[in-house]
Amino acid sequence: MTYTYDDNGLVQSPDPNVVFADYNDGHSATVHRVMLELSHTELQIILPGGERLGWPLMTLRALRDQARAEGIVLTDGHGNMARLTIDNPHIAAHIRSVAPNLEARAPVDNWGRIIGWAGGAVASVALIIFVLVPIMADQLAAYLPPDGEAALGDATFEQIRRALGDDMLPVQTCEDPDGRAALDKMVARLNPDPDLPYPVKLSVLDNDLVNAFALPGGRVVLFRGMIDKAENPDEIASILAHEFGHVVNRDPTRDALRSAGSIGVLGLLFGDFAGGTVVLMLSNQLINAKYSQSAEAGADDYSHDLMTRANINPAALGTIFQRLMEEYGDAEGIAAHLASHPTMRARIAAAEEAAGDGLAWTPSLTDAEWAALRQICGPAEQGDAGGDGGLSGAN
Amino acid sequence: MALADLSTDYAGRKGAMFKLALKTGILTVVTAGFYRFWMKTRMRRYYWSAIRPGGLPLEYGGRPTEKLLGFLTAVVFLAFYIGVVNLVLMFFSFSLFQGNAPAYAVSLVGITPLIFFAQYRARRYVLARTRWRGIRFGLEPGVAGFVWRSILHWGLTAMTAGLYWPVKTFWLEKYRTDRTFYGNARMHQGGRWFMLYPATKHIAIGAVIVLVTGAIIAWQETPALAPLTVIGAGWMVFGIAYYKANAFKRLTDAKTLGDIGLCTAPRAGRVLGIYAGGWAAISGVLFGALMVVGIIMGLVLAATGFAVQAWLGGEDLSSIPAFVPVIFGLVVYFGVFIFYGVLKEVFITLPMAEHFAEETRIVNAHLLNDIHQRDRDEFGEAEGFADALPLGDAF
Repeated sequence: MTYTYDDNGLVQSPDPNVVFADYNDGHSATVHRVMLELSHTELQIILPGGERLGWPLMTLRALRDQARAEGIVLTDGHGNMARLTIDNPHIAAHIRSVAPNLEARAPVDNWGRIIGWAGGAVASVALIIFVLVPIMADQLAAYLPPDGEAALGDATFEQIRRALGDDMLPVQTCEDPDGRAALDKMVARLNPDPDLPYPVKLSVLDNDLVNAFALPGGRVVLFRGMIDKAENPDEIASILAHEFGHVVNRDPTRDALRSAGSIGVLGLLFGDFAGGTVVLMLSNQLINAKYSQSAEAGADDYSHDLMTRANINPAALGTIFQRLMEEYGDAEGIAAHLASHPTMRARIAAAEEAAGDGLAWTPSLTDAEWAALRQICGPAEQGDAGGDGGLSGAN
Repeated sequence: MALADLSTDYAGRKGAMFKLALKTGILTVVTAGFYRFWMKTRMRRYYWSAIRPGGLPLEYGGRPTEKLLGFLTAVVFLAFYIGVVNLVLMFFSFSLFQGNAPAYAVSLVGITPLIFFAQYRARRYVLARTRWRGIRFGLEPGVAGFVWRSILHWGLTAMTAGLYWPVKTFWLEKYRTDRTFYGNARMHQGGRWFMLYPATKHIAIGAVIVLVTGAIIAWQETPALAPLTVIGAGWMVFGIAYYKANAFKRLTDAKTLGDIGLCTAPRAGRVLGIYAGGWAAISGVLFGALMVVGIIMGLVLAATGFAVQAWLGGEDLSSIPAFVPVIFGLVVYFGVFIFYGVLKEVFITLPMAEHFAEETRIVNAHLLNDIHQRDRDEFGEAEGFADALPLGDAF
């Protein structure tokens, strides 16, 4: 009688249908060196004591993603811990050819629970982001002391300057003395201070974005792109008055507190998988803060009142909205914040109505002051802006 | 009784790991991170089955769906915590301190116990799904004790600028090991609290060389000693590899399972070699891949010639839809991201596991025959908290 030897130097029977393998019964850590026999329907495991176990070929399962791919580790397919480890590549290959369901996966029996929990998770996250956090932010914003609001605004302002800047260099603020004087005169003329718990801090950022926004603590930011886009000083005055309205109503404070809560939750959902994107989203959210329509209407109303009080034509808000809408569509990209959604036409109409008719308005700046304001970021920038393509367009 | 120790084979192969990690990594990115529960499961199956003490593979029996379920459970809890707690913290931080730094600090301190909690629960889940010879491992409940010990020992480590580190490592390892079971047998971490200090000797020698030569250079102004400082720094790097290998040896040699013991002898030189070779290979492959991409792009540009040049000349750059550069950027970003992860598995994790496994033997292995099965630890939460919190991927 001749014997062959397997990879481990262990003796194999000369009969190709009788071989050896390692068997664990799932009850004890003892390893049984067992003999295997293969019939048409069963894999027979013969224990050293002579006891026979029959594992039907139909139910045999192999463990998946095994490092030693040429061997095979079998289970009987009934979810117990008994394991049969076959190292001999020929035997493993043979079993693979005769057992039809080796790769079949155990049915997932907890889809119901998974779907339930997934629904619960989505619902609770939605509840937190869209209901709980906004309500809390609204309530808390009213209690935030002015110093705290100012600090929040300053921190955010620096974040935005860095986010829009190149490399490590934040976006420059525009400080041309004549332009600044004109801007200060415009703010003094509008005079929102009686409505505010803190003085307004207005900055112009040297960037092509056609936008303006308010931050907590009375900070208002105007982009050069917006000044380039305006056709007369009253339009800028109307935009400023609109932003002052947000400040008076504390919309930016609410928004900042809200995003402090909700951005963290979003980061949690996507994990470190999108770690860098969260920072981007944060700054993006702050710049393009989408207030509710009632908040926008509130700021518009405030703008009309403030302008009327200062004897500046409130229709200017309508004319610049009109131009932005014609250029960018009803709610497109950069201008989306100012051009908040479907009420655009209504807002233009409201501005025209506020203007009434026949009243004698005084322009907010003289022609010379307006010229100075248009150069607040320096004369060279005006020329540069035209060729930049994309956002600012030709004057 | 002088029976032979049970040595450990390692069956993991770089090529197979590369294929598995690449395939599952791509699927994870394509599904916005959803596949990561499947990826983790499959990678663990491979890594576990590669380790074969006495020629029989470890088995990882965790299921992807239970990880998903655990993650969803954790999200519901954490969304509330992160959303509401962060919002309130941010409010008080700005109200009382006019800045957001206190909020981040408190938020971090608040989340630290949660991280320890997640670590212990994740360890419990992974052990409950690890089997060898058909017998389950397990970790006793005891998360509260682990959390306060971790806070204490990590606090002391921070206060002593790291000098306490080896003591911290010992006590936390002892806490977990003493609660670890193989079947019905409890493991025990022997040794004393100071026993990891000798493992730090080469870090200490290097630090002394750096400090002494640095001080002499500063006082006596003798830059000739600068090469010695560099040697000292190099010695410290070797010291870190030595600590990793030697601390593992000291802890492992002192672990027992009844009268069954472990015996290991990883080599610091090999550990250092794996890191050095691994990082060299990773940067080489990544650099090479980026070169190839660059060359291909260059060839495309050269082949299309003037058309592209005119196109790049800026005639109508705005006609390219905005999503084209965005998608291109995402592909490159995630491409590098996936490749880096895959190469790290192939060139660092796998060889490291191979070295530590092959150097480890089981003493008095015949006593394993007395060990019996333990009950299944259902543990529906799986490792959800560890998945949701950014814990890194230590297994």
